[in-house]
Amino acid sequence: MAATPLQTQTVDLAARFPSAVSVDARNGYTGWLVEKDKLLEIARSIKEELGYDLLTSVTGVDYLPEEKMEVVYHAYKTTGGPGLIFKVQVPRQDPIEIPSVTPLWPGVDFQEREIWDLLGIKFTGHPDLRRILLWEGFAGHPLRKDWKEGFYEEDAKPFKSRWPEGNYVSSEEKNPYKDNLSFPKNFDPEKWIPEGEAALYGALARYTETDEQGIKSDRIVVNMGPQHPSTHGVFRAVVTVEGETILSLKPVVGYLHRNHEKIGERNTFLLNMPYTDRLDYFNSMSNNFGYALAVEKLMNIPVAERADYIRIIMAELSRVQNHLVLVGMLLNDLGAMYTPALYIFEERELILDIFEAVSGSRMMCNYFRFGGVARDIPEDVLQKIKDLVFKRLPAKTDEMDRFLSENEVLVSRLKGIPVIDGPSAVQYSITGPVLRAAGIPYDIRRADPYGIYDRFEFDVAMRTHGDLMDNYLIRLDEIRQSIRILEQAVSKIPSGPINSQKPQYQVRVPAGEAYGRIEAPKGELGYYVISNGKPNPWRYHVRAPSFINITGLEKMCVGKKIADFIAILGVLDIVLGELDR
Amino acid sequence: MDWVIWLIWIVKGFFLAMFLLVGFAYLTWYERRALARIQVRVGPNRAGPFGLLQPIADAVKLIFKEELTPAKAYKIVFFLAPIITMVPSIIIAAVIPWGPQEPQVKLFGYTISLYVADINVGVLYLMSIASIAVYGIVLAGWSSNSKYAMLGGLRSTAQMISYEITLGLAFVTVILLAGSMRMLDIVEAQRSWWFVVIQPVGAAVFLIAVLAEVNRAPFDMPEAEQELTAGYHAEYSGMKFALFFMAEYQKMIVVSAIAATVFFGGYLGPFVHRWPLLGPIYMLIKIIILLFGMIWVRATWPRVRYDRLMAFGWKVMLPLALAIVFITGFGILLAQELGDPIYLTVIPAASIVAGVIAVIMVNRALTRKRILSYEPR
Repeated sequence: MAATPLQTQTVDLAARFPSAVSVDARNGYTGWLVEKDKLLEIARSIKEELGYDLLTSVTGVDYLPEEKMEVVYHAYKTTGGPGLIFKVQVPRQDPIEIPSVTPLWPGVDFQEREIWDLLGIKFTGHPDLRRILLWEGFAGHPLRKDWKEGFYEEDAKPFKSRWPEGNYVSSEEKNPYKDNLSFPKNFDPEKWIPEGEAALYGALARYTETDEQGIKSDRIVVNMGPQHPSTHGVFRAVVTVEGETILSLKPVVGYLHRNHEKIGERNTFLLNMPYTDRLDYFNSMSNNFGYALAVEKLMNIPVAERADYIRIIMAELSRVQNHLVLVGMLLNDLGAMYTPALYIFEERELILDIFEAVSGSRMMCNYFRFGGVARDIPEDVLQKIKDLVFKRLPAKTDEMDRFLSENEVLVSRLKGIPVIDGPSAVQYSITGPVLRAAGIPYDIRRADPYGIYDRFEFDVAMRTHGDLMDNYLIRLDEIRQSIRILEQAVSKIPSGPINSQKPQYQVRVPAGEAYGRIEAPKGELGYYVISNGKPNPWRYHVRAPSFINITGLEKMCVGKKIADFIAILGVLDIVLGELDR
Repeated sequence: MDWVIWLIWIVKGFFLAMFLLVGFAYLTWYERRALARIQVRVGPNRAGPFGLLQPIADAVKLIFKEELTPAKAYKIVFFLAPIITMVPSIIIAAVIPWGPQEPQVKLFGYTISLYVADINVGVLYLMSIASIAVYGIVLAGWSSNSKYAMLGGLRSTAQMISYEITLGLAFVTVILLAGSMRMLDIVEAQRSWWFVVIQPVGAAVFLIAVLAEVNRAPFDMPEAEQELTAGYHAEYSGMKFALFFMAEYQKMIVVSAIAATVFFGGYLGPFVHRWPLLGPIYMLIKIIILLFGMIWVRATWPRVRYDRLMAFGWKVMLPLALAIVFITGFGILLAQELGDPIYLTVIPAASIVAGVIAVIMVNRALTRKRILSYEPR
C-alpha cells in the first residue's frame, strides 16, 4: 500500500522557530532540540498549528557523561502518519526544572510524575507533582546513572562474579554497597507517618458543608484497594463518595514497581526480551513485538519474510485472547459469577496451547528475536491455528455475542454510561480500544503501519458513543478483525528462514535512539531504546498503555456510581505488571 | 398436658433445625456442583464420593479458623450480629407444613402433626420474623467499624426493606385467594389449582422479591464482591462468618419452602391424602427445584446496579404488586357476586396483562436513547 502524502510529510521545526529549535544532530538521533524557555510556546504550536494532537510518550534520559538531562516528547497525529520528536536538554544540576506541558496535554500528568520520581526532573506548573511509582520516603531518583541499587555490582550484565565460571561466592557478601538503603536522619519506621498519604488525601477535592444548625458534614473517603477484588491486582483508588456517587478519585499505583527500566539498562539487549514478557503478562507476544521493532530499528536489519507472518499471527492471536479475557473479566466485575469468564477461558486455553507449542511457554513466551523469531511453527501447529481461526473462534465469538450482548442486566449496566469522549481521550493520551470506542479511528496498524500490516485487509474497529457498551462491543469487533487478519496470514504464510540474522547471544547495536511502537491489545505499546554502542542499552523506556490510560481515570469516574467505576476499570483493561513496571 | 407432647415438640423442633443445618451444608455442595456444571467445570469431587464430604471439610476448616475482631469494633454488637441473623432463619421454618392434617400420622400411639407450629396468622409470623434478619445485617455492618461493611450493611437494609413491601403484597394475593392466613389452609386451598396457575404474576413477583430478600444474585448488592469486597461481613472470620453464611443458605431453603407452600401447592401431590408421609417428599422435591432455579440465576446473570435495583423495586415491582392485589380482589369479588368460579380466570388473564406491561416498560427504559456526549466526526 502506497504511503499517502499525509504520511510522508515532514515538518521543519527549526525553520519555524529559528532561534529556539535546532536539529538533533547526534549520530543516530532524530528530532528537534527545543529551548527550555520556549517549550510551552513551541508545544502549543505543535499541537494547535501543526496538528500533532496526540502526545503519546514523554520520558527522560540521563546523559551522565555529557552532564545533561533530557526530556523526550513523542507527538503524533490522530489522523495518522509518522511522529514528531522534540527534546529539551537541561544541565544536570539540581534543581533540574522544565516547564510542564500538562496545560496542553493533560495526559502527560502521570508520565511527568514518573519522570520526577525516577529521574528527579521537576516540572514547573504541574498540578500535583508527587512520587508515583516509589514510596514517599524513597531517597534518590533511581534511573539516574549515578544511583546504585542495593547489592550493586556493575553497570551491565553479565556480572563478572557469575560469569564465565559460574562458581560465584555469594557476591552480595563482599559487596561494598550492601543493601544500599539510605534513610533521612533520625528515621524511625515505627514512628514514620507517611507524608505522602497526607499529600494524597490533600490532592482529593474536599467537600465540607455546614447546614443551618451549624452541623458540619464531610464526605466519606473510601480506599478501593490495594487489596480489592475488582482492581485486577494491587491497584488502589482513593475515592470520595457521596452516597454511591463518586465526587473525586485519585489512583495510587506502584505497589508492583520493580524498576523494570533500570533492570533493563543493566541487561544486554537480548536479555531484555524475556523480560518484556513480564510487562503485560497476558500478551507477551505483543510485548516482544514492540521491543524487537525498536531494537531492529536501531540495528537497521530486515526481518525474515516468514518470521514477519509468524509475528503477525502471534500478535493477533494474543489480541484475540486478551480481548476474550477482558470480556470475561468485565462480566465478572459486573457480578456474573465467573460463568462467561470460564467459557472464555476454554478458548483462551486453545490459544495458549499454540503459544506453548511454538515457544515452549504458555504465558512468558520469549519468542521474538531481532530479525525474526526463535523457532519455526511446526506444520501440525499451523493446522491447529487454521482450525481455530477458520472454524472455532468465529463461531465462539458469535456465540458470546449472542449470549451476552443482549442480556438486559448487562445492557442496563453498560449502555449510556459514558467512559470518555473522543477529544478528551486524545487530550489524555488514551490509546487503544478505549480511544476507538470514543469515535477516533486511531489504530497504529493502519495509522503508522509496522511489520507487514499494510499487506492485510482489515477494518479499524470503531464505535462512536464512547460509553461502556461501546467499549465492550469494540472488543468483539476487534476480535473479528483480528480473525480476518489471521485468516489471511495463515493462508499466505511463505516458507523460508525464520531469522534474517545468525542466532547469537550478543547483538551489536549501533549508537542511536529508536522508538518502536505497536498497537498492543491495550493501546499503544512503545519502547524507547537508546544505545551508545555498548552491549546493553543506555536507556530503555516502556510506554505502557495501561499506565497512561489511567491518567484520565478521575475524569472518567467523577459523577458516576461506585459500580460504574468498577466497570470502567474493567474496560480500561489495566494490567499491573505493565502499569507499575 | 402430657409430657410426651412436649417431647414430640422438642424432637420435631430438633429435627427441623437439623434439617436446616444439614440442608445448609449440602446446599453449599449442591450449589457448587450445579454451578460447576453450568460453568464447564467439575466442582468439588475430592472429599468422599462425588465430593459429598466437602461440606464437612469446610465446616472443620471454619471452626479451626482464627476469629478476628477488629480493634475498634463495638464488641458486643459485633458478637451478637451473626446470632441475630442466624436465629430467625431457623425459627421462621416453624410454621411450614410438611404434610396434611388428615389422615393423621400415628407413631407409638401418638398423633404426630407434620408441622412444628400451627399458627392461625402464619403468614404474619413469616413476615415479622423475616424482617428481623435485617437487624443482624445492619448491626454487623455498623459494629465492624469498617467503611465497606457499613456501606454493605446500609445497602442491604435499604434493599431488604424495599423488597419486603413487594413481598408482603405478594402474600396478600395468596391470603385473598386462600381466605386464611393459616399455612395449612393456604395449602389445602390449592387442592384444585396451585396458586401459581391462578396468580402466575404474583408468583413471579414473589420469587423476584425473595431473591432480593435473601440477597441472592442478581440482587446480591450487600455482598457485591467486586464493589464492596464482601459487604457487611467483610470483617468477620471463622465461625462468626460461617454463621452469616449459614443464615444466608438456610434462608434460601426456607424461602424456597415458603414459595413452594404458598404458590406451588406445598406438600400436595398424587396420593398425599392417602399416605401423608409422601408430603415431606413432595415438599423436598419442590424445594430442590426452586433452589436450583436460584443457583441457575446466580450462574447466569450479572448484578444489577444498586440505584437501578432500588428503582426497579419501587417503580416496577411495587406498582405491579399493587395491581395484582387489586386484580385478585376484583376477580374473587366477581366470582362471588356472579356465583360462578369460572370468573376467577379473570385473575390470571388480567395479571398477565399487567405483567407484560411492566416488562415492556422495563425494556423501554433500558433501550432508551443513549447519552450522546460526543458527536463523531
